Amino acid sequence: MNPALVQAEIARLVQTLGTIGAPLQALLPAAAVVLVALAAVPAWRALLGPAVSVSAFVLLLGEIVLAWFHWRLYALAVVVSPDTGRVAGRVAVPLWVESEKLFVWALALALMAVLIRKHRQELLPGVAVILAALMAGAALWGKPFTEPLPSFLGQYLGYLQAMASGDPTRMFGAYQGMEGARQFYYNTVYMWVHPPALFFAYATFAISFVATLVMVRERHSAYETTAYRWARLGYLPLTAGMLLGFPWAIIAWQGESWWWSGKVNMSIMMWILYTALLHARLYLRRQGMWRWVAAISILAFLVLLLTYLATYIVPGAHSYL
Amino acid sequence: MTETVRHKNWDFALTVTTVALLGMLGVQSFIGTLYVWWATNAVPGFEIAGYGRFVWWMNAIAAPQVVALVIVMGLCVPKRLFDRTALVVVSGAMVGVGLAAWAFTGSFQTGLAVYLALAALIQAGIVVLTVAGARGPSYLTEGRLVKTGSGLLHQGFIAFAFVVVALQRSAFMLPAFWIATALTLLGTVLAFYADRFARRRTVRLEVDRSFTAE
Repeated sequence: MNPALVQAEIARLVQTLGTIGAPLQALLPAAAVVLVALAAVPAWRALLGPAVSVSAFVLLLGEIVLAWFHWRLYALAVVVSPDTGRVAGRVAVPLWVESEKLFVWALALALMAVLIRKHRQELLPGVAVILAALMAGAALWGKPFTEPLPSFLGQYLGYLQAMASGDPTRMFGAYQGMEGARQFYYNTVYMWVHPPALFFAYATFAISFVATLVMVRERHSAYETTAYRWARLGYLPLTAGMLLGFPWAIIAWQGESWWWSGKVNMSIMMWILYTALLHARLYLRRQGMWRWVAAISILAFLVLLLTYLATYIVPGAHSYL
Repeated sequence: MTETVRHKNWDFALTVTTVALLGMLGVQSFIGTLYVWWATNAVPGFEIAGYGRFVWWMNAIAAPQVVALVIVMGLCVPKRLFDRTALVVVSGAMVGVGLAAWAFTGSFQTGLAVYLALAALIQAGIVVLTVAGARGPSYLTEGRLVKTGSGLLHQGFIAFAFVVVALQRSAFMLPAFWIATALTLLGTVLAFYADRFARRRTVRLEVDRSFTAE
């Protein structure tokens, strides 16, 4: 491995991604404004369905570009042991970390919004507003095309510089950090299963939340059934994603009191609330129970949003602060 | 009829207690999260000096709630199988055996583990009876697949609680965890997604019966 050569190749790749992706990234906030406008003005709502489909297409196109970027990066991001000079492995950066999280969540929601059949007309305005917020967030906060993977690239480029320095202490320290991140973070099965399962669940819960709001407004049980069906669709990936995180946490966060980390706490709260929602529904025929079901559903989604934000606000084992 | 109503009230009371306990833990977690957020910004050196004390307090406050949750979860198990009188006896016996194990070994953890093992045993019996289509176990849901799913899901929760209570430092921890995960996920699939399939089968059988009657 020639560190200077790899560094130059990565710089070229990042530049190409920026060139291809910048128009897509600029399109996202514009599409978000259009979606909100179409959702807000009843006379324009007939155009909402096609607008959501176009947004889904743009996001899918963006995801294909990002997948290409990750594939090229995988070919370049080699980790070499300074001791033996042997290749320890390549870093397979998942498609849903750092700057790409909101993008993936937006993509999942957009694809599901295209597939909504039951109560489509009633649900689409609310879903479009959430989709618009995610798309705007993905473009303005995440910037996956113009500022890709800042944490990974920072660490990997630091590793390359250390390897080029010839200083054994620096080389060994950088190698240990990079190899640790490769083995216990980027390349773990957990990182390839846990986040996409949760983003799939988050997208279904967003639609369930909108259906609950429509139920509260219309006071009709048919919307509750729709809200329940979307919530139960998300419950399996949510449970699976969280359970699969448990053995990983035991190994990766050994010695830390990770169960009181803000993000872990909020995640468990969210799971508890969705479990309570699916259980409370068993008693829906009791007088006034629908109000409780609606309240739990709304609270659960608010906690979901806080859970997502907790990673960036509250320090702890599962924090990016 | 009265028995069914009472049974459902007991079901409802246990569900409300479970939700209340989970809610209390949720509130504690939320307050704890807010506190850490505040303390990290306001108290100098909190992460080094204060975080350990925070964890100790959080564990101390959560412990009785978690124990209560485990006990309530155990009590949820025999309700599927026994009528009111037998239910009180069986539930009391489970708690009694757990307490005896605690007294005998001097380890509260062992007491809880024995209690959970009993609950897991009864739950396994309930699942077998449900799969066999026996009329004994009572559920709030309809359809054998959905009921089996509910049974497996609860078996998975009990197994997971057992892993946390008894196997955290054991070599069996990971295998037991994967069994709990498999039970929970299979149970979730059947409990929440099998109802349409079950309903379609029922409709077809009714149509067949009407043809036979003609």
